Amino acid sequence: MLTRLAGGRVIDPANGRDAVGDIWVRDGRIVATPDHASADQTLDVAGCIVMAGGIDIHTHVAGTNVNTARLLLPDLRAGSAAASVPVSQTIGRLYAAMGYTMVVEPAISPHVAPQAHLELSEIPIIDTAILTVLGNDDYLLRLMANKESSAAIADYAARVLAGSGAIGIKAINPGAAASFKANVRSFGLDDAVPNSDITSRAIINALQAATESLGLPHPLHLHCSNLGMPGNVETALATMEAAGDVRLHIAHLQFYAYGKDGPRGFSSGAARLAEAVNSRPNITADVGQVMFGQTVTVSSDVLRQFNARGQAHPRKSIIMDGDGNGGGIVPYRYRKTDFYNAVQWAAGLELFLLINDPWRLFFTTDHPNGAPFTAYPDLLALLMDRSLRAQHIETLPKDAMQVSTLASITREYSFADIAIMTRAAPARLLGLVDRGHLGPGARADIAVYRPQADLAAMFRDAALVLKDGVPVIRDGIPVAQPFGRAVAVRPGFDSAADRGLAAFYDSIYGVPHTAFDVPAADLLGRTQPFETVPCRT
Amino acid sequence: MIETAERALIGCVASVDGKPVSPTEAIYEAATLLANSRSAVVAGLGTDVAGARASVALAQAIGASIDHMDAGAVFANLDVMRRAGWIVTTPLQTRTRADTVLLVGDGLLEAWPEMADRLGLDAPPTLTGGARRVFRLSSGTVPPVGAATILPTLAALRALVAGRATSLDEGAFRPLSDLATALAEARFGVAIWSGAELETLAVEMLCGLVDDLNRKTRFAGLPLLPPNGAEGVTQAAAWATGFPVRTGFAGSEPLHDPWRFDARRLIASGEADVAIWISAFSSTPPPWDDAVPTIALVASGTAFGTSPAVVFEVGCPGRDHDAMLFDPALGGIAFAAASARRTVPSVADTVAAIAAALPQC
Repeated sequence: MLTRLAGGRVIDPANGRDAVGDIWVRDGRIVATPDHASADQTLDVAGCIVMAGGIDIHTHVAGTNVNTARLLLPDLRAGSAAASVPVSQTIGRLYAAMGYTMVVEPAISPHVAPQAHLELSEIPIIDTAILTVLGNDDYLLRLMANKESSAAIADYAARVLAGSGAIGIKAINPGAAASFKANVRSFGLDDAVPNSDITSRAIINALQAATESLGLPHPLHLHCSNLGMPGNVETALATMEAAGDVRLHIAHLQFYAYGKDGPRGFSSGAARLAEAVNSRPNITADVGQVMFGQTVTVSSDVLRQFNARGQAHPRKSIIMDGDGNGGGIVPYRYRKTDFYNAVQWAAGLELFLLINDPWRLFFTTDHPNGAPFTAYPDLLALLMDRSLRAQHIETLPKDAMQVSTLASITREYSFADIAIMTRAAPARLLGLVDRGHLGPGARADIAVYRPQADLAAMFRDAALVLKDGVPVIRDGIPVAQPFGRAVAVRPGFDSAADRGLAAFYDSIYGVPHTAFDVPAADLLGRTQPFETVPCRT
Repeated sequence: MIETAERALIGCVASVDGKPVSPTEAIYEAATLLANSRSAVVAGLGTDVAGARASVALAQAIGASIDHMDAGAVFANLDVMRRAGWIVTTPLQTRTRADTVLLVGDGLLEAWPEMADRLGLDAPPTLTGGARRVFRLSSGTVPPVGAATILPTLAALRALVAGRATSLDEGAFRPLSDLATALAEARFGVAIWSGAELETLAVEMLCGLVDDLNRKTRFAGLPLLPPNGAEGVTQAAAWATGFPVRTGFAGSEPLHDPWRFDARRLIASGEADVAIWISAFSSTPPPWDDAVPTIALVASGTAFGTSPAVVFEVGCPGRDHDAMLFDPALGGIAFAAASARRTVPSVADTVAAIAAALPQC
């Protein structure tokens, strides 16, 4: 069937297009304008904005930590659309309503990958992927302690990626969770895991090297040490320096944008971080914006979560000394009247507005840690409208605004900037050549928005969304509920790595090393097999 | 739809009112019972993740509620977790790192017969090495404090760990005080209990003790989880509905109420007029016999007091068919290939066939 989306303003930065025109779709793919064919179906989108489907590179939507958050907080009613940790079904519906067609769950330890994939299999409409977490796992630390070669580490990483069905590698406060099990209570970039000389820095570099040698499309995705601590802007800067000129993605940069200036010893360090990102083309980052309201922090940085327990609201939390990273669940409420929360809010916006290149900066709230993803439309509006920002700044503690440069920033995002940051750039960062753009050959994952004075309303309820060419959303309401694909890399590895791992699991854990492997898609209840993203050669 | 069900249920053994019937007839009878009911409950739920998923979907479709046969033990743990929070760990971390293990209660072997072997309790921690000290806090190992339950003993132990005064007599003080000292000396300690055995207050006291120990050292809990697939069902219910079992779907949003949606109470009070009873792991009949018309999805060989209205034999997950299951030794949900594969419908297949045969509304 040939479908024509007629007369919309097509904003497709990957193909240098921003003009009123048509998009043609056949068999779930975008095709060039046919010479003589007439459309079987014409969808009139005149007056609307047409973009590729949105891609969220960092959102906690599945896995045991997220599910534990649901169980911990029945009062937050995860089954409702207003939840900070909605259920799988609602996640797909709400993301699609905003014009998103793919999300990446960025924190799945290899041993919980089967459950994560089961949860993803129940997220309708949108495509999904996971990042597998390494850096606190016993086997990697063993390889590093034994001074094994970088090839051996890469083989192991490839084996884990295959077993967990992941699209890339994440490291979360590498070394800290392992050290916390030995009663270490703080852990920085150059601290070593007890009884070893393995530092966080060394783990980061080893996993960067593995990522590059395997040709993974996505750079190492890093959650740095010292998250949330005053003065941790120094940690983020040192971590960028430690990366050398190798690619590195720093997750939720806002949570590292804190200086120690001002009368309260807490200030925004965002301007310094922005400058560093601007000058280092190997660095990408997502923001992890804070928005005000009740949420729950769900993190595999178990040490940080343990130390944050005192701030829990309501006053209860979960700490899991898990295999590899484990994690912690700490409910939290960001308050407009709170000095620290207001500084966090401002620091995130400063990062958005002071980092120049939308191809290297990604739109996230670290859902649900900074805010639930349902706050995206409000955040997009803040980026595009400085008068709206000014209105908000008026309502916030004055002393908080004095330790941030936000009020002085006049930049406003254009629709093209938004399309890059939420579509074109994420697809490029993940190595997805047929997503994030509207050129011939792309998947027909398309979002159509109806311009209106209320920008947030425009982004909250897309006028029309196509997934693989099928209309799935009209005026924010689901009209079809197909299931998307799970996307993963499948790098090859030396079978010797598998044998070494098998021996380790057998002797140390007493379980087969294949016990946690994610089975084929049909055994997870998926209707379609995994989609493989090729590695770079 | 019915023909599809027939194909999906190859190998199905079914009966209506105790008489063998074809799968088609049984599916028709089950769908008719559900279609004519005011309020149904999907109970037992002794099943794998796929079975839980199908059961939740069916309950949502007909506005029923869900419960699990071991919900009492599920909530003994979960109520502590969600009221107070806790610090817990995994079986593999226990095996590899625990230099100190506190076994609480008499029911651990019952909850997990292979526990000592799988956790390697008789050997040093496999990763960190050194000695492993194992302490037992059960009837007979430590003099009881006060009442016959373990709660006051745990309370006294927690007070001793916190350095608070107790009114223990000398016979109880010495061993408990020694134990408190030993726990505080742990580098990575693990306290193990079974929710099936301990009352909620005892679990909460134990978790409080673990929390207190973390002021100076590292300690974590390892709750042993109830049988009959309870943890896999709890997890699947959570990501599908936001709640564990004892959740109802009659309104526009799921409603969780452990008292209201207790299947036995719903049936005893007459609020539920039809039940689906699922027990794929064990030959357990519905505890209400024939108090309401019941559609039973059970392991072969299940003996009933009175024949349920409809009976389907279903396969045992991980034995008769492949399954995603919570594995206590792994501490998580994992793939379990059929160990003795045979052609018998799963809970998921059977529930889906019933759902497909319901009249469209």
